[in-house]
Amino acid sequence: MSDIRKWFMKAHDKGNGNAPKSSAATNAAETAPVKSEQASEDLETGGRRKTSKYFGKGKAKAKDEKEVEELPAKRKLKADSDDLGKSRPRKAIKVDDDDDDFEVPSARKTRDSTPSKKLKSGSGRGIASKTVDIDEGDDGEDAEEKETPLKSGGRGRGGRAASGAPTGGRGRGGGRGGFMNFGERKDPPHKGEKEVPEGNPDCLAGLTFVISGTLDSLEREEAEDLIKRHGGRITGSVSKKTTYLLCDEDIGGRKSEKAKELGTKFLTEDGLFDIIRSSKPVKKPVPERTNKGTETNKGTVKVSAQPKSSPQKEETRGKPLAKSSPNKIAPHSSPAKGKKKIIQSSLPWTEKYRPKVPNEIVGNQSLVTQLHNWLSHWHDQFGGTGNKRKGKKLTDAGAKKAVLLSGTPGIGKTSSAKLVSQMLGFQAVEVNASDSRGKANSNIAKGIGGSNANTVKELVNNEAISANIDRSKHPKTVLIMDEVDGMSAGDRGGVADLIASIKISKIPIICICNDRYSQKLKSLVNYCLPLNFRKPTKQQMAKRLTHVAKAEGLEVNEIALEELAERVNGDIRLALNQLQYMSLSMSVIKYDDIRQRLLSSAKDEDVSPFTAVDKLFGYNGGKLRMDERIDLSMSDFDLVPLLVQENYLNYRPSSTGKDEAKRMELLARAAESIADGDIINVQIRRYRQWQLSLSSCVASSILPASLLHGSRETLEQGERNFNRFGGWLGKNSTAGKNTRLLEDLHVHVLASRESSSGRETLRVDYLPLLLNRLTSPLQTLPKDEAVSEVVEFMNSYSISQEDYDTIMELAKFKGRPNPLEGVPPAVKTALTKKYNETNKTRMVRAADMVQLPGVKKAPKKRIAAMLEPTVESVRDEDGEPLAENGEENESDAENSEEATNGEKLETNLKNLNARGIQVEVDLKGAGSSGSRKAAGRGRGKAKAADAPAEKKATGRGSGTKRKTR
Amino acid sequence: MLWVDKYRPKSLDKVIVHEDIAQNLKKLVTEQDCPHLLFYGPSGSGKKTLIMALLKQIYGASAEKVKVENRAWKVDAGSRTLDLEVTTLSSTNHVELTPSDAGFQDRYIVQEIIKEMAKNRPIDTKGKKGYKVLVLNEVDKLSREAQHSLRRTMEKYSSSCRLILCCNSSSKVTEAIKSRCLNVRINAPSKEEIVKVLEFIAKKESLQLPHNFAARIAEKSNRSLRRAILSLETCRVQNYPFTDNQVISPMDWEEYVAEVAADIMKEQSPKSLFQVRGKVYELLVNCIPPEVILKRLLHELLKKLDSELKLEVCHWAAYYEHRMRLGQKAIFHIEAFVAKFMSIYKNFLIAAFG
Repeated sequence: MSDIRKWFMKAHDKGNGNAPKSSAATNAAETAPVKSEQASEDLETGGRRKTSKYFGKGKAKAKDEKEVEELPAKRKLKADSDDLGKSRPRKAIKVDDDDDDFEVPSARKTRDSTPSKKLKSGSGRGIASKTVDIDEGDDGEDAEEKETPLKSGGRGRGGRAASGAPTGGRGRGGGRGGFMNFGERKDPPHKGEKEVPEGNPDCLAGLTFVISGTLDSLEREEAEDLIKRHGGRITGSVSKKTTYLLCDEDIGGRKSEKAKELGTKFLTEDGLFDIIRSSKPVKKPVPERTNKGTETNKGTVKVSAQPKSSPQKEETRGKPLAKSSPNKIAPHSSPAKGKKKIIQSSLPWTEKYRPKVPNEIVGNQSLVTQLHNWLSHWHDQFGGTGNKRKGKKLTDAGAKKAVLLSGTPGIGKTSSAKLVSQMLGFQAVEVNASDSRGKANSNIAKGIGGSNANTVKELVNNEAISANIDRSKHPKTVLIMDEVDGMSAGDRGGVADLIASIKISKIPIICICNDRYSQKLKSLVNYCLPLNFRKPTKQQMAKRLTHVAKAEGLEVNEIALEELAERVNGDIRLALNQLQYMSLSMSVIKYDDIRQRLLSSAKDEDVSPFTAVDKLFGYNGGKLRMDERIDLSMSDFDLVPLLVQENYLNYRPSSTGKDEAKRMELLARAAESIADGDIINVQIRRYRQWQLSLSSCVASSILPASLLHGSRETLEQGERNFNRFGGWLGKNSTAGKNTRLLEDLHVHVLASRESSSGRETLRVDYLPLLLNRLTSPLQTLPKDEAVSEVVEFMNSYSISQEDYDTIMELAKFKGRPNPLEGVPPAVKTALTKKYNETNKTRMVRAADMVQLPGVKKAPKKRIAAMLEPTVESVRDEDGEPLAENGEENESDAENSEEATNGEKLETNLKNLNARGIQVEVDLKGAGSSGSRKAAGRGRGKAKAADAPAEKKATGRGSGTKRKTR
Repeated sequence: MLWVDKYRPKSLDKVIVHEDIAQNLKKLVTEQDCPHLLFYGPSGSGKKTLIMALLKQIYGASAEKVKVENRAWKVDAGSRTLDLEVTTLSSTNHVELTPSDAGFQDRYIVQEIIKEMAKNRPIDTKGKKGYKVLVLNEVDKLSREAQHSLRRTMEKYSSSCRLILCCNSSSKVTEAIKSRCLNVRINAPSKEEIVKVLEFIAKKESLQLPHNFAARIAEKSNRSLRRAILSLETCRVQNYPFTDNQVISPMDWEEYVAEVAADIMKEQSPKSLFQVRGKVYELLVNCIPPEVILKRLLHELLKKLDSELKLEVCHWAAYYEHRMRLGQKAIFHIEAFVAKFMSIYKNFLIAAFG
């Protein structure tokens, strides 16, 4: 949920943000069962009609809820035992309840037998899937059930369905765009509580809406869906054409300001519902009509092959009468005509309705004109060998002999090219990707019988002759090179050859490609006049599609066609194909039909990992199709599994009900599956077995989700009921940091040569005692004594101050007293002081980051310093560097580089092998003064450089180097 | 200095606990050429002590003059170059390192670094052995690839280099490696032996150590000599003179794991599982190795469990422990075990008490 992010960002809001929210949420949960109760019905609707005072209403509902609290519980029990057969009739009743509010009881009888359309379309799917997982839907959560058709729309694909314009509007809304806006909009306070009305499909036709802010019960997508379904139009920003601004709270912002300025009417959600509802009873023939509508719907499902049944015809006739508002699309074609057309049409519509005149081309009119001009003037400019020079002069400098049309598929490039050449009386010769278009054989003698490329060459050359001989009689020719960006492997040298052809061509050449910026076409672009075809707008497409639909006797409203146009992403060819396919089974196409048909081609939308987890684990998680689940969990391959792992405990699986043992069992299975996912992930990452990614996604997200989907519960007091961010990342990085710190401590302890234990042993076995030795004197003994004892102990194990902190850090457990508790601050400061005091006289063997002077980039090398035993040091001095040399060939290269940086350093440290800086020698007594000195000076340098290095190293908490004397 | 380190036997002759093994090792290196060695046994049994003493036996005092280095290596791994950092503990004649520190890149450590080290003959051979020694810790944690790369190295450079491998469990070392080594099993010292050592230390420190108390420490130490000595010293810090029934405080993390186990036994619900997850995270963040956590957790759970469930729970613990090794995110597997346990236990409770 997007709100999670917001939650993180506005933690300070917690107090006030939380209270109303959660209460609303609980209200939502509590009132859900209430609603289905007939008893509370009247109160309910009363509340619903009240506009915008929803918080007050929420309380009222909560109150009502208490009265009927017993009932839902009972109902639930019953519902558990209920099966498919039972859940269905209840629904029908429910719908009736709803209608009671508006209709005279007399109408009820008829409607009982004919469930409304919503029920049909909803249960058509809902029930089908219910048979699969019966226990899931029967939870008794009727409100949820009721929402099912809507929700799965609103959540499953409604999110994607958000049209371009509103999305844009959302981003701009209130001028708070950008990433931070991510969680801006709150959840509707009464989400899913209200009955969404079902009205005349055209009741909103001709009205334009703008949605602003949070609505009372609908998600933004759901609201858009509702409006579109009823024929309304939604735009992103307020303009003069806007009929209503739909908002439940005046949040200010740009939209409402503009609306006030323009005098646009404000409409609340309840108002919208009322409009939709009122559309129904007003019209008398409605019940009958719905009846027909459902039957046709049924017809489409069951006998899709059957064309044109009689009720459908009736409907086409009846509908224009029923329409309240003037509708442009309303087809006046008689059914007979439509029938005839259908019978005639054997051609695919894309061919049949290929534009015949340039005006029929959808969009890009200026480009078509340009193309037309270019082609019509081509022979004036380039043709005619006789007046070649003159012609050249006439041509403007920018004129090109070829033209390059580019644009996405299906927007009419080829159509335009053909149409224009046809209009101008050119004979079009089309060469496309299906022909081999390699480089022409240099041996042209092979002639036309040879490769296609040769044919092209011939064509291009010959035209001149033929044209000269008798231009007027011979048809002029134009070469259309289609899909030039497809010239690839098989067509070696194709583009180069094409360019050559263009240069010598005596006929116009039209090249067509999808991607003008393709690398392959880079050289070609220079020889062509580029014409970029743009996607037509949805209005443009809808217009053309309406035209086609009309001609075919198909009844589609404009909103539906706009939706279609949007779904196909500007591809008019695809739109026509879809339309034709749908026309086979139905003659009335509604918004919903298009949405259902084009589910798969819905626009891609970025699903945030939170939303993905939300959907996977949501109530309808079990109803998602497998590919939808995969899509969701693949939306972020890394993050979704982590979120799943973090949150799966919070879901109460709807399949188990109250059975806690069963739930625990499912949890165990889910946990194991998540662990499986981890194992697979290792295979993927470590051994690059990416073909397993699907399995990983199934194991780590889909399986747990399908086991546990249900309602989310909070496990801790005061926790918000939203998915948490995966905790693993944070914990892992803390663990990593602590491991590094421990490693530093380990190195120091090793360097002290008192112990040679491993790192884990150090943590598991040593640490408690170390802690004890480091803290208990401070707590018990008098200050000075304690301090000196601790410092002495630290020295014996080369524990630096940072290591001291590390030990304290590692020994800290949540819910346990801090090990340093009870130590007065004065003692702590005394400890630090004492430690720093003894610094000079102490010999600490510590590993450290050493930055050599003059080296710009710090050599990322941690070098240990160690203290030689006093007695043998002189003799060892020579032996050791040698040994080092033997082992460290690689690092020597680095060293020499470092050494050159300081000449003094080099000379002084020669016998110490430049690395001698670290080999700290402590000679008690006279000893070899030479090497002593060298060490001293080297040390001095290193020390100077130590300071910055130290700062850098503080993050890792590595020890500082402490020097002799 | 801590007693563990203070009274660590420095030479094979001074070893108290595994005297026979020490003598054999001594004979091995003095009388003939030393083969590759694989020391295995539970932690706190004295593997490392024996190895250090053995090195001293081979090279004399110079083996003790070790220095610690953190070295960065650039390893060419196919298309990219890897930067590996290895902490080594080295003297003139031996190098000790823990290749498994590099995680799944341990293969490169074995292939490049160890090979590099093994290749180079020691320069200073006067009066010394003609080979040097590589001590590799935690061989059982090496990935299979790394172990496979190791075996060729062992054969090829055996003239100039001997490997001493050290690990807890020989079952996680491939057969190929085991057969190339002389396997030395170091048993956990018996309780009597531990008591003997504790009394020896007490005598040296001139402390009064009641025998019963020593026995109790030995009992609590889980037959780990190191832990026994450490807890003896902890007790010494906390309370001296010793009394027979003095509290022997468990390790901080053990206490915490016991708490987790208590939570699990108390309530089997998603909420409790969630709290357990938080606590396990806490342990992991504090650098307790996940295997240790799981093992300890099982131990604590078994204490309170009815005998009929023990077998099943052990099975699942082993199952998830194995999977933890295959996986990467330890917490997932521990959580899966806890969830499994809760499920089993809950069903058991319901069956028993309704």
